[in-house]
Amino acid sequence: MNESLTIDWQGELLQLLADRAVFWPKEKTIYIADTHFGKAATFRKVGIPVSEHTTMEDCQRLAKLIDDTRAQKLVILGDFLHARAGRSQPVRNLLFNWRDQYQKLSIDLVRGNHDLQSGDPWPELGITCLPDPTPSKKNTWELRHLPPEEEVDRPFLAGHLHPGYRLHGKGRDSLRCPCWVVNEKRIILPAFGSFTGLKNIKHEKDEKIFLTNGKEIQELG
Amino acid sequence: MVVQASKQKAKTLKKPAIDVVLEWFKTKQWDPFPFQKKTWSAHAKGESGLIHAPTGTGKTYAAWAGPLIEWMDELGKKPMPKRPPELRVLWITPLRALVKDTTHSLRTLVEDLQLPWTVEERTGDTTGSIKAKQRKRFPSCLVTTPESLSLLLSYPETKEAFSNLRTVVVDEWHELLSTKRGVQTELGLARLRLWNSKLKTWGLSATLGNLDIAQATLLGTNKPGKLIDGDFKKKFEVDVLIPKDMEKFPWAGHLGGKMVEEVAQQIEGAGTTLVFTNVRSQTEFWFHALQQIRPKWKDEIGIHHGSIDRKERKQVEVRLREGTIRAVVCTSSLDLGVDFSPVDQVIQIGGPKGVARLLQRAGRCGHQPGAVSRVICVPTHAMEMVEYAAAREAINERRIEARDPLSSPLDLLAQHLITLALGGGFFSKDAIKEVRSAWSFRDITEEEWGWVLDFIIRGGDTLRAYDQFKRVVVDSDGLHSVESRIISRFHRMSIGTITSDPAIEVKFSTGRRLGTVEESFISRIKPGSNFYFGGKLLTLKRVRDLTAVVSLAKRGKGVIPVWGGGKSPLSSELASGVRQKLEAAGMHIFKEKEMRALRPSLELQSIGSRLPKMNELLIERTDTREGTCWFVYPFAGCLAHEGLASLISYRMTRLEPMTLSLSFNDYGFHLCSTSTQEFNESDWRNLLSPEGVVDELLECMNLSEMDKRQFREVARVAGLIFQGYPGARKSNRQVQASGGLFFDVFSKYDPHNLLLTQSRREVLDRQLEVNRMVSTLERISGQIIVRESPSRLSPFGFPLWAESLRSQVSSESWSERVKRMSQQLEKSA
Repeated sequence: MNESLTIDWQGELLQLLADRAVFWPKEKTIYIADTHFGKAATFRKVGIPVSEHTTMEDCQRLAKLIDDTRAQKLVILGDFLHARAGRSQPVRNLLFNWRDQYQKLSIDLVRGNHDLQSGDPWPELGITCLPDPTPSKKNTWELRHLPPEEEVDRPFLAGHLHPGYRLHGKGRDSLRCPCWVVNEKRIILPAFGSFTGLKNIKHEKDEKIFLTNGKEIQELG
Repeated sequence: MVVQASKQKAKTLKKPAIDVVLEWFKTKQWDPFPFQKKTWSAHAKGESGLIHAPTGTGKTYAAWAGPLIEWMDELGKKPMPKRPPELRVLWITPLRALVKDTTHSLRTLVEDLQLPWTVEERTGDTTGSIKAKQRKRFPSCLVTTPESLSLLLSYPETKEAFSNLRTVVVDEWHELLSTKRGVQTELGLARLRLWNSKLKTWGLSATLGNLDIAQATLLGTNKPGKLIDGDFKKKFEVDVLIPKDMEKFPWAGHLGGKMVEEVAQQIEGAGTTLVFTNVRSQTEFWFHALQQIRPKWKDEIGIHHGSIDRKERKQVEVRLREGTIRAVVCTSSLDLGVDFSPVDQVIQIGGPKGVARLLQRAGRCGHQPGAVSRVICVPTHAMEMVEYAAAREAINERRIEARDPLSSPLDLLAQHLITLALGGGFFSKDAIKEVRSAWSFRDITEEEWGWVLDFIIRGGDTLRAYDQFKRVVVDSDGLHSVESRIISRFHRMSIGTITSDPAIEVKFSTGRRLGTVEESFISRIKPGSNFYFGGKLLTLKRVRDLTAVVSLAKRGKGVIPVWGGGKSPLSSELASGVRQKLEAAGMHIFKEKEMRALRPSLELQSIGSRLPKMNELLIERTDTREGTCWFVYPFAGCLAHEGLASLISYRMTRLEPMTLSLSFNDYGFHLCSTSTQEFNESDWRNLLSPEGVVDELLECMNLSEMDKRQFREVARVAGLIFQGYPGARKSNRQVQASGGLFFDVFSKYDPHNLLLTQSRREVLDRQLEVNRMVSTLERISGQIIVRESPSRLSPFGFPLWAESLRSQVSSESWSERVKRMSQQLEKSA
């Protein structure tokens, strides 16, 4: 299993998983954000050649995470499907095959901005679609896609930003990787999808940044 | 509708066409130059060719009058038609900014001669309605850019509309020559020649070291042409402002702040001045420094560089043309485009880096026939004095750099083939012949061709399983075409090869755009702090969605942005001139005033170490607090030195494990280690061996990061990245991904993708100048290695030692790298 790092957040122990996910052992729940399934297919529609290899890889990673953690619940914090044009046969087949392996898994999706445009996932996938924000089970925190710009009272987990951080060394040396942005009130998850970009973020004083290369995790600073 | 009968008799030409043109010259009190007459007669014979001459010598009229004479000759005694002739001349210019000026100047001759010709422009800025009107009936002469020509070729109707085309003129060919836009021009010309084998092509170029190749590239393979020399011994003068206190003038540095007062005085003494700098940040520095020293110049001087918004730049250009501005501080953004507005004085800040560049800049003044083009050089550090002396000699002897055309850029081929597929379709067998007639693709292999076809039809190896991917479809006859309307639309929108890196737009809160800065710069500035941009002191308010909102700062100081790239190395021609000057100085010959001024420093170098002769390679070793420092001086330019420094340090670490830090400049490189290892003559011979350079570079440099950055351009040209344009529909956002992402995905799932290979080659050729590295090492293997051990840093070594840009050679894991870099982050914070 790839590396994980346990943090104490809102009185609960959460594991950051190097595969760009968060695991809550007590509730056997995996949180991921921004899978953007169907993005490659959307590109192909306009003549840009991208294969579904990234979708295959993402399904495999997700399967392995569920096996390793024995999770019973998966929560997707928005942008499950990339675009309406991406609702294509190859994507559907891959997702259906994956779902067949985990029939007992309960899946929630907090609708993100992309989901609103591309529509809810195929009903056969058995995904419960929820509005943004939705309180988590037992009301511990809120599940969001868009992190609110203003201060909010309730702590939350969110996606949308695809946070990435660029480190500069001497000379031309530089390195960029996905990260979690964590403070007392919120956790922003990195995008789970392999065919997604990064948005560079700044390191604010009250925040912790955890970088990952998909295998290991390093806290910044 | 009132029809007015014309009572005037229809006009006819009363004399031979050539005389009409000669008479026009007479009214202007000009005497046509021999090269202009030569061009006209060659054009009349149906020949093609390349005209090379310094700027401001009348190249435009040399090329423009030919087609007009041809038309008048065809007209003969027939009455002058009222209706303008259909498209006869295509005028291609590299810069959109030049299009307007060119159109204006071409029109002048037509109007003066009272010919019914129309001259119109067509660029990305031309409105849709005008473009549509033009497609119905083109003007007699169309002034356009390579991209717009390519776009025209994507419409099947163009072939018919271009059936009357006689001549294509390519302006500033030297600027296009070794770029992808140049290749785009070549491919466009190949198509036009296929339509009309008698098409004449004329190129206008500055003088280059390889004019024969420049001409072959323009005219295509196996096409004879006439090389016309318009370089009628125009006089150039390279003057240097010698620092008063040469003893105290710095050995290192690049801003040159010590000379601001002298420069201000020079500006005061002349009409309009162009102050050229080498990089954008230097432009910002000098503009600010001049304003500080002469506050009353607040509105009298302007600033111009590539990151400033086009509207703002345009204002400066207009004022320059009107002569209502005292001086403009600029980068090579004004190398072109002021052809039509000569200035009184040209100042060059810092080293010239290349002979052609200095010549081009000097040519911005002294446009009157017989006048001298003079450039005043201002050193930013002492050693640049040698460069000036060498540059002057090279200019007098017209030893000018060559510019090499590119070799088979497949990204551009992919783009062009889709353009052809859109523009009526193509058959593979004919298309490969057509493409091979372009010089840059003359050597393309069947295998490469096959790969590109497969890439645009099936999307390459990994996409065979997806039958819905049909960018280009092939019918049963073998005709390649594009069926999908959405693919056509995307392709047309993304034609073009200029890449702009993702940049942060700088805006006032009112929405007025100022230009762009790099994300890495703005991310280091806190909201509320100040920085200089476009000559203004600005306060950063916030950064959101690739926009930095700023306001004018009331007072205070600010930092100057640094833009990546754009650092051009000292050219081989100039470097060899520098080595000659140093050899002479070693023999106590100080001919030029710059060399005499530098004499004390050079003698210090000579006493403490050595002034290398042409057949010597100097290596110095000095012990400093940091450890043992080796200084090697191949004089091969900063890019090749960066690669050499990495290569040699990699080879050193294989002899003995050690950690080395390194730095480099145009003259040499520096390696520093805490190790006390000694290297004797034969060790150095091995370290500097030209064997296995590329393989070892791949092992030792973090090339994948460089490849990834380079891949952005490749991906964009090949149509993978859709950048969109202002006002593009939002839905396009769903198909936006960065070049880096494509690079990662392809590297993982499609490692044999030839676009990856190409991006690697571009890194090696352009960013590291591998060919120059190898030829330098080959030169060194025939040189005597002289090793000196100065007790203190020599004048040559000091700037290298002071160079803050250092990188380390070591092999760390990902987490070690993260730890190290985040520690460095803390230190600098």
